[in-house]
Amino acid sequence: MGIISLEQTNRLYWLGRYSERVYTTIRLYAKCYDDMLDDIGENYADFCRMLEIPNIYRDKEDFNQRYGFDDADPNSILSNLIRAYDNAIVLREEIGSETLSYIQLAIYAINKAKISRAPLLELQNVEDNILAFWGIADDFIESETTRNIIKMGKRIERIDLYARLKIGAKELKSELHRMHTRLLRSGMPYRESCLERLTDAIEHMDEAHVIDYGGIVQSVESLVLI
Amino acid sequence: MKDKVIPEDFIFASSGYMPECEGVSPVRGVYSHISGIDLVKGKDGEWYILEDNLRVPSGASYPMIARDLCRRSSPKTFRDNLLEDNRNYAQLLRKTMDYVNVEGHTVILTPGRYNAAYFEHSYLAEKTGAHLVNGNELLVENDMLYYVDYKGKKERVGAVYRRISDEYLDPMHFNPESVIGIPHVFDVYRKGKLALLNAIGNGIADDKEIYYFVPKMVKYYLGEEPVLSNAPTYLPFYETDMAYVLAHFDNLVLKDVAEAGGYGVVFGSSMTKAQKADFIALLKREPRRFIAQEVIDFQDLEIQDNGIVVERKADLRAFVLMADEPYVWKSGLTRFSRNPDSFIVNSSQGGGFKDTWVLSR
Repeated sequence: MGIISLEQTNRLYWLGRYSERVYTTIRLYAKCYDDMLDDIGENYADFCRMLEIPNIYRDKEDFNQRYGFDDADPNSILSNLIRAYDNAIVLREEIGSETLSYIQLAIYAINKAKISRAPLLELQNVEDNILAFWGIADDFIESETTRNIIKMGKRIERIDLYARLKIGAKELKSELHRMHTRLLRSGMPYRESCLERLTDAIEHMDEAHVIDYGGIVQSVESLVLI
Repeated sequence: MKDKVIPEDFIFASSGYMPECEGVSPVRGVYSHISGIDLVKGKDGEWYILEDNLRVPSGASYPMIARDLCRRSSPKTFRDNLLEDNRNYAQLLRKTMDYVNVEGHTVILTPGRYNAAYFEHSYLAEKTGAHLVNGNELLVENDMLYYVDYKGKKERVGAVYRRISDEYLDPMHFNPESVIGIPHVFDVYRKGKLALLNAIGNGIADDKEIYYFVPKMVKYYLGEEPVLSNAPTYLPFYETDMAYVLAHFDNLVLKDVAEAGGYGVVFGSSMTKAQKADFIALLKREPRRFIAQEVIDFQDLEIQDNGIVVERKADLRAFVLMADEPYVWKSGLTRFSRNPDSFIVNSSQGGGFKDTWVLSR
């Protein structure tokens, strides 16, 4: 039909953001989980600080379980995956049953991880399903606008996370270019002032030798008018 | 009514009668675009019609899914048996929607994801290429219905396959508390600038009381006996029928005409003495509220219950789509009861469904 309502746009955008959040935080969580096997400090506290989420965890075991799999913890990986699913399930006709099915499979896999004694093995399946979701979305979704909105959400989330994690200039620049292309192609309304600030903070950070990560997060969060 | 085939007070007193629809003709004169006819096969080998669903019959997506899964899991079965392919329902539905579309987009209107049939709404939207919408995504302006896109651009809508009940469709004309409908959509519809599938007011035609008169209608319009029989039905409103119902109470099933989905159905044989006395008192007080039917001992079908093959009561919902001509979908929804002692097959009460074969000979 080729037309998308504001509500659908919002859902496509957040589907992109939450699926990316799940993918990236699983990778971080896996690293943190692995470090803590060797008792290298209380890494989960740093993890929470980096992502600016409240450290509500009693100890590392509590973190491993609740951050990964507690649906009552709004910052957990499971909660973010459920939000991705909540958006995807009402977009079936837009993204297709096959695309949607990979988010459903990711939910299935994370629930297996929750009760597994080796959760990282199952979380690999979650990651694989998210990657398959991206792949089939690219291949299967006919509407270019739909694809662009999801991918724009993904790129915005990635810049947001990279800035919070204080990842270097090279990666941020690359993500900015990819996001900018999607933003223009999607036709979504955005704040030019935010884009300018974002570009300035990322493109010129080498010269200043100081990266304004807080400014990047603020600009990227306010960029799109939804 | 004029020829006294159906007493007019049965029409006007029906809970499905909507005075707002008086004088309104739907686009191309089609009222029931999608009809769901519930059938059972008795142990005598005869098929009986249990009821007609002419408002928002659901369930067509499940046979499509069941066929896909069955073909994957048992390819040999499908190589060895000549079966009609039932996966063309979406094309038939699209043709039905396009036939009445009034120069605009086609949308499927859903009450939202928490509706029990939401999967079907979204699946049919995907398969027909229609757009799945909530009421708040549509807007009436200058006697036209529009879909508003994310840039604020308005696109005209010409056909709405609505999956919400009449009373919730338009808060300005029907239930004012509805938040899932579209204000003023009824105005667009009655001016012929929009097709609604199915038409508003069809509740009068699939009323359980009117069911009693359907064989008479068939005979009146076609001059022939119906090919399929109704389950023998009695209206306690008529004195002779009331006498029969009271005399054969234990052999009958009684249905509240205002209920649907398997609710409001009681079997005379399953009542205690006190319940029976209370029910008969209610029946005498409100004879119009109920119909009574002979209990048809319909055939059991084999199903798998936790991996064990058992027999359960089953019925068949046949789907008839009306575009330029009526088309009977060569499939249907076969529903079965979970409970070995139950005749209730509705999914809302735990019933399951099976793939439905129409042999191609």
